[in-house]
Amino acid sequence: MKTFEEKWTAWVDDELTGDELVAFEASLPDKTTAQAEKKAAHQLRSLLQRELHAPTMANEEFFSHQLRERMARDEEAEVTRSGGDPSPWWTIGRLLWTGAASLALFLVCAVLVLRDKNPEEQSQYLTEILTAKVDPVGAPDATVSMFESKGDRVTVLWTEGLKSLPSDYAAK
Amino acid sequence: MMQTEVTPAESDVSELDLVKKCQAGDSEAFDELVTRYRTRVFGMIYNMIHNEQDAWDLAQDSFLKAWKSIQRFRGQSSFYTWIYRIVMNVTIDWIRKKQVKGSGSEFDDSIQLKEIDPASRTMPKPDALPYEGMQRSEIRARIDQAITQLSPEHRAVILMKEIEEMQYHEIAEALDCSIGTVMSRLFYARKKLQNLLKDVYENI
Repeated sequence: MKTFEEKWTAWVDDELTGDELVAFEASLPDKTTAQAEKKAAHQLRSLLQRELHAPTMANEEFFSHQLRERMARDEEAEVTRSGGDPSPWWTIGRLLWTGAASLALFLVCAVLVLRDKNPEEQSQYLTEILTAKVDPVGAPDATVSMFESKGDRVTVLWTEGLKSLPSDYAAK
Repeated sequence: MMQTEVTPAESDVSELDLVKKCQAGDSEAFDELVTRYRTRVFGMIYNMIHNEQDAWDLAQDSFLKAWKSIQRFRGQSSFYTWIYRIVMNVTIDWIRKKQVKGSGSEFDDSIQLKEIDPASRTMPKPDALPYEGMQRSEIRARIDQAITQLSPEHRAVILMKEIEEMQYHEIAEALDCSIGTVMSRLFYARKKLQNLLKDVYENI
């Protein structure tokens, strides 16, 4: 749906045709005034076309010459910015390869560091200093472990699989 | 339709071929396009800003921008519509920046919309000057002064329509707006200029 302004403009420019023209002209409250307005718009157009001459470019060739120089300067600056290499080094392919290689290196390092830092079943609070079989013959499943917490000055003796602790036992 | 500076020899090479060469990095092909459009572009900008040196500089900036972004030209519109889009962006930005730096309000759309009743008939000014007494330079000054009171967008549509004789859809492409917006801007721009220049065109 065209607004009044759009229809008016099209009418002034003689671009309204057919039913649209008939309907628009019928909607005008004062056709004589509207025609006078249209004539005024045409007069304005004639005035602008007659008077609005831009000054001719005094030196057209110099314009092109200056532009060529600017383009060349711009290109030089672009080359300088990219480190003297006219072709862009960081192409998308190179970026992808570099990213993938960095990620792989990071994963390898992370696995190595985590494996070292996370020995199995180690207490977060106590340092295991000894694990020994108590009696390989009489109690093959029995073990004794010794933990130490230096901060708290505590040593814990942890035995497993023993029915009783021999009185003469000493951890080795 | 807008005319260009194409001579018969130049027109042998089509605009699209030149653009394709430009896209392949051929600066001589771009030079050819510049030769075809420099005067039109300069004239259009001059009529927008009324200063030769600034118009020269803005035309240079526009062509430089066009060269840098020629890869983005897809050929969906004609080259001159595309270059006009760049020219309009560069010029309207410049006018707006100048307006921000300047002191007063060179143009004011809100005042314009309030002052102009779309249904009103423009009245001749009582102190209309007879053409005989008005020098050509004075007429030009009056027109320039009147155009300066339009917003950059209104200046652009009125000049593209009345001087360049571009079609609505070409103006819409150049200004990146709808055809309806172009027609609406034309309506208000004409009304304002009719109010400001009535005594001039009625006495010539």
